[in-house]
Amino acid sequence: MVTKTYEEINQRIRDGDAVVVTAEELVEIVRERGAERAVKEVDVVTTGTFGAMCSSGAFLNFGHADPPIKLGGGEIYLNDVPAYSGLAAVDTYIGATAISTTKGLEYGGGHVIEDLVRGKEIVLKGKGYDTDCYPRKEIETTATIQDLNQAILCSPRNAYQHYNAATNSLNETIYTYMGTLLPNYGNITFSGAGVLSPLGKDPNYETVGVGTRIFLGGAQGYVAWEGTQHNPGKAFGTITVIGDLKEMDPRYVRGCTIDRYGTSLYIGLGIPIPLLNERIAQAAAVTEAQIKTNLLDYGVPRRDRPVVREVTYAELRSGKVEVHGREVPTSPLSSFKLSREVAQKLKEWIQRGEFFLSAPAELLSRDSVFKPMKQAVGVPLAKEIMTRPVVTGLPTDPITSAAKVFAERNFDHLPIADKNGKLVGIVTSWDVAIALSTKKKKLSEIMTKRVITAGENDSIDAVARKLEQHGISGVPVVDAKGVVSGIITSEDISKLFGRRTR
Amino acid sequence: MTVKLLLRYSPEALDKPILAQVIRQTSAELNILHAELDAAKGEILIGVEAPPAEIEKLISLFKRNGIDAKKLEHAVELNRDTCMDCGACLSLCPTGALRLKNDYSVELDDDKCILCEVCVPACPVRAIKVTKL
Repeated sequence: MVTKTYEEINQRIRDGDAVVVTAEELVEIVRERGAERAVKEVDVVTTGTFGAMCSSGAFLNFGHADPPIKLGGGEIYLNDVPAYSGLAAVDTYIGATAISTTKGLEYGGGHVIEDLVRGKEIVLKGKGYDTDCYPRKEIETTATIQDLNQAILCSPRNAYQHYNAATNSLNETIYTYMGTLLPNYGNITFSGAGVLSPLGKDPNYETVGVGTRIFLGGAQGYVAWEGTQHNPGKAFGTITVIGDLKEMDPRYVRGCTIDRYGTSLYIGLGIPIPLLNERIAQAAAVTEAQIKTNLLDYGVPRRDRPVVREVTYAELRSGKVEVHGREVPTSPLSSFKLSREVAQKLKEWIQRGEFFLSAPAELLSRDSVFKPMKQAVGVPLAKEIMTRPVVTGLPTDPITSAAKVFAERNFDHLPIADKNGKLVGIVTSWDVAIALSTKKKKLSEIMTKRVITAGENDSIDAVARKLEQHGISGVPVVDAKGVVSGIITSEDISKLFGRRTR
Repeated sequence: MTVKLLLRYSPEALDKPILAQVIRQTSAELNILHAELDAAKGEILIGVEAPPAEIEKLISLFKRNGIDAKKLEHAVELNRDTCMDCGACLSLCPTGALRLKNDYSVELDDDKCILCEVCVPACPVRAIKVTKL
């Protein structure tokens, strides 16, 4: 078996003899000539991704004011975006998802970081409490990245090995971190660079580790640690990365707003993979047709979202994926064009002898698992608090029958179901009151047909949000087949909160 | 080339069959691209393939009926300097006006766009602008 070392590869880079290809190019080389030849002929494979990475941020140091102020323990705003103030006097951390107090979701921490990289002036507003050594209590000034002592991009979770694709089964549009998802499986979004995915190309974590030099935001950065939620066993590996923001290029550091969800930061990130042996070459040559992911239903607001089907990145990349017999258009959320550009740029740096490989001080864990949050109190589900059995009406029933139910049972909502129990509408006491002045007779004439419903396994937080969003006071609960199984009213929810606080 | 006409209805014009009347008086073929009508206002975007003289005639016919009709040119713009080719807009576009080129950069086909504006807020960097004024 052919093997080589980091030292050998770096010597070849120094001599200008290193053979560097992108991960896309390696796929072809291994297909044509096999992994053994690939190791003989190629030294380094470059990868790249360019996507929204919410767990991104930067440490900044402003230097001391005169008289000095202690912002640690106080409040810090950069262009009106709150930054972390739990560090020493003039250190802060600005995270990508922090939101402007004046512009809301239109501007956030990600945008502050981009503006810094662009060399724009940032307004710093801060408050502190006075001490004998820090007498000042307030400050307002402006600074560019050049005025800062350090600006260190340091992100605890970047470059997911691969990610789930998203779709939406509900009959309304939803706005998620996976972007805008149209009703009734109207579209699919996915992220990750597929064939170019940095961690996807070293899935056994044989080369990427603590201290691996990487392309980060257009500059040279490093892998600092395994990322938060690193879960290599499920192909959801992540890395913590670090690099000098002052050297970065705004082309690869972009603040963004994900509609009605929040702000984030798009980052260009590439990892060089040394072809030390055949196994590494084989793993790095995986094609998009071989990279599978789950298409999840984001219409279900639970931690474990149902899998609609399994898809490959090749299918997702093709622009259309079949769901329940229909072709559904896809949107990549990571730019494949810029992912390619990152891999290409990294390749050129190495070819020109400007970038050398660093052997990791320690490899990343291969057996970390991603545990769910330990919750002291479980959140009740719709099926646990709903009223059942529920009284329903038939569309053909007279309006008077609903009036009778409301009067006798002290209800305000009557779900209307067909003979099989399937929900077809809802009538409220208000609808009945209005109907009195008309000549309408049957419930089908006054019922609301587009009913807002809750699923049996929806959490009550999701149900409460639904009631608030739509300005309604009750929702029928339906099972997977659309059969009414219960009803929840805002009263049920208030009662529950009363019980919780007692 | 398809010419896009934006028809703005006043509340009074909403309940009259003006579109049908105008269609009967012209040989131009109209295609409704997008319509938004409610109690307070109405906007219909139509696509017409006809010689310029016929288009002008159409506009004056609509105007005579109290509808503010105007030709929309370059009403939608994709700022290539801002766009980062992420593709978030692609699957939201109902007509395929937003699409990927072979090099995976996003392009906008002005002709196919029906100005529904679904892509506008969905663009993470606000690279798409629609101007109907």
